Amino acid sequence: MRSSSYAPTAPARRSLRALLVLALTAATAAALPSAQAATPTPTTAAATSAASTSALAAKPYMGWSSWSMQSSKYPGLNPDGDYSYLTEKNVLKQADALAAKLKPFGYEYVNLDAGWWMDQAWKPGFDAYGRQKADPGRFPRGMKPVADHIHGKGLKAGIYLPVGLQKEAYGEGKVPIWNAGDCTTADVVYGDLRTTNGWDSAYKLDFSDPCAQKYVDSQARLFADWGYDFLKLDGVGPGSGKNGDQYDNVADVAAWNKAIAATGRPIHLEVSWSLDIGRIADWKKYSNGWRIDTDVECYCNTLVSWENSVDDRWDDLPGWTRHAGPGGWNDLDSLDVGNGDMDGLTKAERQSYATLWAIAKSPLYTGDDLTKLDSYGVSLLTNREVIALNQGSMPPARPITPSDPQQVWAAKNADGSYTVALFNLADRPAAVSADWAALGFTGKAAVRDLWNRENLGTYKDKVTQALPAHGSRLFTVTPRGTALTTTGYEAEAAANTLGGNASVADCPACSGGKKVGNLYVGGSLRFNDVVVAKAGTYQVKVAYVSGDPRSVEVSANGNGPTSHKFPSTGDWGTAETVSVPVSLKAGANTITFDSGSGYAPDIDRIDVPKSS
Amino acid sequence: MDKSRPAAPSRRRLLSLAAATGVATALGGLPAFTATAAPQRPTDSTPLKGSSRNRLWWQAPADEHSMIEQGLPVGNGRLGALASNDPGRELLLITDATMWTGGLNDTLDSDGQFPYGRDDFGSFTLLARLTVDIPDHDLSAVSGYRRTLDLAQGVIGTSYVRSGVTYERQVFASRPDDAIVLHFTQSGGGRYTGTVTLDGTHEETVQGTSFGAAFPNGLRYGAAVKAYGTGGSVRVKGALIEFSGCKDLTVVVSGGTNYAPDAASHYRDPSLDPEKLARTKVAAAAAHPADTLLRTHVADHKALFEQLDLSLGTSSAEQRSLDTWERIRARARDDVPDPELEAAYLQFGRYLMISGSRGSLPLNLQGLWLDGNDPDWMGDYHTDINIQMNYWMADRAGLSQSFDALTDYCLAQFPSWRKLTHDLFNDPRNRYRNSTGKVAGWAVAFSTNIHGGSGWWWHPAGNAWLCASLWEHYEFTRSRSHLTRIYPLLKSACEFWEARLITTTLPGTSKEVLVDDSDWSPEHGPQDAKGITYAQELVWALFDNYRTAARELKKDSAYAKTIGGLQDRLYLPKVSERTGWLEEWMSPDNLGETTHRHLSPLIGLFPGDRIRPDESTPPEIVKGATALLTARGMESFGWANAWRSLCWARLKNAENAYQLIVNNLRPSTDGGNGSAPNLFDIYEVEKGRGIFQIDANFGTPAAMIEMLLYSRPGHLELLPALPDAWAKSGSVTGVGARGGFVVDLRWRDGRPTEAYIRSVGGRTTTVAYGRSSRTVTLKPGASVTLRDFTR
Repeated sequence: MRSSSYAPTAPARRSLRALLVLALTAATAAALPSAQAATPTPTTAAATSAASTSALAAKPYMGWSSWSMQSSKYPGLNPDGDYSYLTEKNVLKQADALAAKLKPFGYEYVNLDAGWWMDQAWKPGFDAYGRQKADPGRFPRGMKPVADHIHGKGLKAGIYLPVGLQKEAYGEGKVPIWNAGDCTTADVVYGDLRTTNGWDSAYKLDFSDPCAQKYVDSQARLFADWGYDFLKLDGVGPGSGKNGDQYDNVADVAAWNKAIAATGRPIHLEVSWSLDIGRIADWKKYSNGWRIDTDVECYCNTLVSWENSVDDRWDDLPGWTRHAGPGGWNDLDSLDVGNGDMDGLTKAERQSYATLWAIAKSPLYTGDDLTKLDSYGVSLLTNREVIALNQGSMPPARPITPSDPQQVWAAKNADGSYTVALFNLADRPAAVSADWAALGFTGKAAVRDLWNRENLGTYKDKVTQALPAHGSRLFTVTPRGTALTTTGYEAEAAANTLGGNASVADCPACSGGKKVGNLYVGGSLRFNDVVVAKAGTYQVKVAYVSGDPRSVEVSANGNGPTSHKFPSTGDWGTAETVSVPVSLKAGANTITFDSGSGYAPDIDRIDVPKSS
Repeated sequence: MDKSRPAAPSRRRLLSLAAATGVATALGGLPAFTATAAPQRPTDSTPLKGSSRNRLWWQAPADEHSMIEQGLPVGNGRLGALASNDPGRELLLITDATMWTGGLNDTLDSDGQFPYGRDDFGSFTLLARLTVDIPDHDLSAVSGYRRTLDLAQGVIGTSYVRSGVTYERQVFASRPDDAIVLHFTQSGGGRYTGTVTLDGTHEETVQGTSFGAAFPNGLRYGAAVKAYGTGGSVRVKGALIEFSGCKDLTVVVSGGTNYAPDAASHYRDPSLDPEKLARTKVAAAAAHPADTLLRTHVADHKALFEQLDLSLGTSSAEQRSLDTWERIRARARDDVPDPELEAAYLQFGRYLMISGSRGSLPLNLQGLWLDGNDPDWMGDYHTDINIQMNYWMADRAGLSQSFDALTDYCLAQFPSWRKLTHDLFNDPRNRYRNSTGKVAGWAVAFSTNIHGGSGWWWHPAGNAWLCASLWEHYEFTRSRSHLTRIYPLLKSACEFWEARLITTTLPGTSKEVLVDDSDWSPEHGPQDAKGITYAQELVWALFDNYRTAARELKKDSAYAKTIGGLQDRLYLPKVSERTGWLEEWMSPDNLGETTHRHLSPLIGLFPGDRIRPDESTPPEIVKGATALLTARGMESFGWANAWRSLCWARLKNAENAYQLIVNNLRPSTDGGNGSAPNLFDIYEVEKGRGIFQIDANFGTPAAMIEMLLYSRPGHLELLPALPDAWAKSGSVTGVGARGGFVVDLRWRDGRPTEAYIRSVGGRTTTVAYGRSSRTVTLKPGASVTLRDFTR
């Protein structure tokens, strides 16, 4: 949930997102060792989550969430006002449908989103201890029977809270805290009643007073007693469009982690939304998953739309990729691909959406009306091979090409095969190729088409397919060739030519411990003596560092440059690689990386295949 | 016409001559969409196979919303379509060249100029929309997708694999069967299940498999579809055709209007029911297997296509491995010549001309192809470069037959143009009216429609430019019948100028000269300039050509003498002492935009031929023209680059001429100038919005030919502007030469090795290469082979 009666209006979202990007740029997270492999290897970095010791979030969770339908203006969904879809009747109807149709495929969570304590006028209700209380209009039997019904179907139940003490619960500071001696609401918040969370809808908890932890404990106790298995803590900062001390809710998340542990009930803790990647260590430590981006919902006449904001993920995700693992996952938000017209997407867009969520190892929870899934939607949500990618041991995929309109993502599977996704994010059909050289091998490979569930045969050097606008293909590629041999060239080598303000800088994560940076507004790096035996198009693997997505113009031998957008590496201390096609002639060549009029990534090195 | 032209000793060529002759006969005022005789079917049954040289290919289909950049064109000269080739949903946007709104448009606006809207002037619009939905063949579910455009055969091919079965489809527009045919086949036990839908685009009601309606202007139109297959069922259900479990499927669609190229009947054939005729046509075609329709079409198309063959050199294996769009991008990125791509671009232009200009109206701003009903500038005929450029290629590139559509158009419009000129040109509100108070002959505005009407502003010199094009076709073909047909247009245009020219005394002298009255040099600078170079040059050429025409036809000798007297007194431009450029406005000052797209003051260099880089032209004039061309720059819209290239070819600057061709081959991105994925030329109207304008697709090939052969009556010049990129070795056959010859040419290391010259009516000509020259005299039909060329 993001929007509510006190949510920022839609146009503000973009500027919030822009702020977030700036924050990312400035962030200086601790340098993490980075693999120089062409693709992520199956040995995912061990998550540091406290929860990882338990079975919670061992795999990305699967299920259903109420928010997409609550937030939509699709005719008939919310007849009693905005967000009115959330009722016991509707939740149980969806739980029954989930159990009947999707449970066999691994979907198990039924998650209530914002508003279970709000009446249809969005007025909140609280118990005598300042805790959210079930709205009798929506949930006349209270929250426990809902969880019981869900459990009765063999499913798990999820509930929701905004972070902080909601303003309406404050009660002039006199409301007692449950099971906390003399603590009252005045003791749990700051004396100046500073607000917090993404909507400023709560007073910020002051954990220097033990009463604050007691308040969180009391809420956790309630959920445990009701039998909930999952909590989405929303509006968490830094993130949710906010930053600064007032909106730093890391202590809240830590308190929730502690409170949940104290209940003795395993409760999955998911934090939301657009979390600050600079605090990833905290999110990993205290939670089981984090929303990396804004809401996928469009708050329009459909559940979502491609531009607002499904398509943002392709650019926003890569910086986060390496942080996903057992115990904590990158949450891309609801997967609304099951309802056809109501989703607001083309068939191709629905497939691309499902593809990215699956290979990113995002939680797979749909926000669709499960009673009205169309056959194509069912095929997308129940493809066992695709679900296996998401739920199995494969590491999350990341781009192996630049983030251009036609792009390729891949991950290396434990058995030596590769999961390869082709995407065409352009508004018109285009051919997209995955070059084996970009995966690190040469020769032939067998290709299996996962969505179509068929083997396509053996392909030499690459596979090329025609993709519709916003379309995708998802393959398992099994190499039958040999490892690629390459020649490496370090960016910092003295033989290179630097232009503009470009300069060599230290980079512990980089090959040779150095990189070339300051590639901005006319900055350039030219490799002067790149030798290949034969003329052809080579997949040049570029190792680079870029805390945000940045474009660079790549050219060979002074010919026309091609602009490529390199995906974010998440911070300025991590190197990643992408492969860029470069047309080379036999003999010596130059390859130039030029910032043009913008800001380009820092370049660590290039590896040029010995054959094209 | 082509009757005097010797046929190569091939049966196909004979067939083509028969077809071409048939076209000429059929056009005497008959409607463009009309009952046709039973097609002549080829008896040859050997498998059809094309050559990769003349085949374009792509690895992705078109998007329904990007048809103008990605759709592949077919056309039978009148009936055209853009095809998406999407496996799951084939979409054809179908056009008929005569499908126009608007009318005579004879009520002037308050400024004495013509209205220019879609209701009054009118617009070229879509005829129909055909979709073939095959739900199981969603693009996301198929692999190995590929589509091709076989330029030599005139066939679009699509192939892909779905669950192990290879599916193939062909789309072509047959002139003999006057229908568009879609043929779906498979190998491997596959089946086709889906629907065929024919829709209008003007809110018509489709009853079953056809529709008919009329525009407010009274133009009736209609279209019909028929489908048949084997192994399954095909049945009409409501407004759909459902097919199920078919091993193969054929869909035939036709349609048209009751437009008649005849001013006397107000451009209508009231007896024609287009819907009924369309139904008759699809029924007749559907009586034949698709393979028969294909063979009939290919024989017809190839006969024209093979009239010119071209090699500009060999491309690399790497270049050949790329699809057409990748190749276009690589050509621009790497700046390495791709001679086979460049030759294919020329052949694509020829393909468009064969497809878009036979037996109906001429090619308009968009040729014959549309993606909607609101084309920029109405998809009309622009008379200040665009329609002329469309036809510069026809004779040069071995497609003289395609030129006839322009002649037929001008003749059919002529009575109406003359009447409007008489009634409206001297309207006192018209700033371009004749200050002499006299009016005679005919004139047009910058835009013309198909209803005898004009749009936008009056364009006095437009008549002279149209006449120049018509005349040049005579020079290429020496066709007496053509000359006889166009003579009235030339004479009437002379009468217009006789009435319009005014006398002025050159400053500082007592010399009196004749100049154009208040006018606008297209499309910049002052709008009331007298004696603009553009008009002076065009009128000079008009008078010159008219005098020749009268002499050759032995007609009107007295009037020709009068015109000769006027020609002698016409002012011709000089070089500005201030700018060093050939003047555009009878002024030493630059009154317009230095890099303006139009080259109006250079019209005497190309397409005119008065300014020549040889002894016949004062060197300062050549220098001034060169300086102006240089100042205009090398970066402009596609057609403007093509015109520049032609001018540089005339000046024998091969590398500049070539660079401008390369510029047009650049990929269009975000609506920028350049070539779209389907090679249509994109014109950047404003930042981020590009539209299709076909003239560069013809003007660029014209420039390529002009670089290989310069001709004027009595003189040919081999390889006048051969760029390094094509110099190593190459050949071209079937190039038309003014003076009435057709030339085959081979070269190696930049030098001609052999020239084969056939007369199609020409008799004596010099043949030059560099500074050497020889004289050839041939009887019509005879030929000679020349070798041993040295500079």
